[in-house]
Amino acid sequence: MGGQENMAEKKRIFTPVSEKEITRAIVDSFARQFIEYVESDCLIIGGGPSGLMAGRDIASKGVKTLIVERNNYIGGGFWIGGYLMNKVTVREPGQKILEELGIPYEKAVKGLYVADGPHACSKLIAAACDAGVKFANMTIFDDVVLREGNRVCGAVVNWTPVNALPREITCVDPVALESKFVVDSTGHDACVVKKLEERGILKTTGFGAMWVEQSEDLVVEHTGEAHPGLIVTGMAVATTYGLPRMGPTFGAMLLSGRKGAQVILQKMNPVVRPR
Amino acid sequence: MNDFILPIPEAIDLYEEGDLNGLDITQLGEYLEINTHIPFHIRGDIYKRFSKRRIEEASKEFARIRLRDPGKRFVSGPPSQAEVDYEKRRISDPGWKSFGILYEGVLYQKVISDLVIKGGLDPKHCILLFTNQLFGTWDRDDSRYHARVSLYGFPSLISLTGLVEAPAKPKEFYLKKQMGTPVAWLKEEYQGKFLDHGDLRTTEVLKGYAMQGLFFHLTGDPFCEDRDCRLFNSHWQEEVLHSQLDGRYDFCPRHDSILNQLRGRDR
Repeated sequence: MGGQENMAEKKRIFTPVSEKEITRAIVDSFARQFIEYVESDCLIIGGGPSGLMAGRDIASKGVKTLIVERNNYIGGGFWIGGYLMNKVTVREPGQKILEELGIPYEKAVKGLYVADGPHACSKLIAAACDAGVKFANMTIFDDVVLREGNRVCGAVVNWTPVNALPREITCVDPVALESKFVVDSTGHDACVVKKLEERGILKTTGFGAMWVEQSEDLVVEHTGEAHPGLIVTGMAVATTYGLPRMGPTFGAMLLSGRKGAQVILQKMNPVVRPR
Repeated sequence: MNDFILPIPEAIDLYEEGDLNGLDITQLGEYLEINTHIPFHIRGDIYKRFSKRRIEEASKEFARIRLRDPGKRFVSGPPSQAEVDYEKRRISDPGWKSFGILYEGVLYQKVISDLVIKGGLDPKHCILLFTNQLFGTWDRDDSRYHARVSLYGFPSLISLTGLVEAPAKPKEFYLKKQMGTPVAWLKEEYQGKFLDHGDLRTTEVLKGYAMQGLFFHLTGDPFCEDRDCRLFNSHWQEEVLHSQLDGRYDFCPRHDSILNQLRGRDR
């Protein structure tokens, strides 16, 4: 009998662990991270390409960075190019960032490069994680946290599924996260900027018609601090300033994210912690 | 010289704003001088001589006069600090390349006029500003703003971006674009039939627009109805190319006669 039991154990692949130990491991690790990141240096709302790029560049300098993403998956629209085709394009000089991230690409025509969406997106997510970014996914932005002079210094968030339930049965309060800087990387919706507009603090125009040749330049040029404490990147910039929209090309998302990071790092310089 | 409403200027001042890729301004100035015997001066970047305070003021004005919705009449509103900062960076950099914001044209002209024309109109100088920025004016016929190549006045503004974007390309270009043909493919297919950014024909074409600016200064009317004349008011790219490059002559008999009078004044 004993020999047969030993034989059975030798055939197991995984070390035996009980269900409750698995649950405790998840809760404990999540809770510790969440408690730590209730307060961060940089809180990025939106885990698409510009938010990931900003997060990666900021966190790589030792800045405590949290990305809030309403979906289960991270990456926004960067998995898929236009019309559900999973190839993403970048115009020069965006391919330099692809090289930096180790994303293979090929040249389509002069000044235009194509990469596999899944490969590009997963590499960017990995780069953000490797830099030290933490994520709160399935988490939806609900409101801003304001301080003196209406400076933005955090965000109010809740679990995404709460929004899908009827209000009558889900009086589920959100929680607040505090941060020195908030980044609106929520794409066309520009959720954080729109929340300030609801409060009469900012005014947006809504993005203009498609003008691929010029919109990317304008988005990058306008990326920066839209309001004290709030940096806007990516397509949210187009919405905020009424710029032309760009269509299925991602160079501006990456460069805008990078520029947003530079703006924050410049402002934070005295506060950056060494890694 | 009964057509002239102002004295003949002593000089034509050519100012620049932004990266003017494709324009040889010296060649253009020489063309003006040869045809009119009016000397030209290249003044360079229009903002270089102004103080930080004036630049700050102009930045706020440019930010304020952005056209938010070309389908509606311009309504002034306070710009955001980010927009003012963008304008300050733009006008502080003579090589600024980005364009795409559409500005209210008449107000843009006023901002420039307030900067360069001090103490009232000076008819001794015909001032032309070449810019890579885009401005539009209100069209009463279809009640919306349209981007323009030029806006004649004091000073006159001529936009290289407007030259590409304002006159319409062939109709088929837009139909095919609507049906999803990539713009890059269309540009190949219709290459040569319209001007593009950095086009090698830009200087030659702009000579005609500069002459329109000068004729406005002299006579109050920059245009001609003869489609072979450089003063023709083109609305299509095809018309631009014909009147500026392929017309039967540079100037129609009437305008050529005026230029002869100009050249003959110092004999």
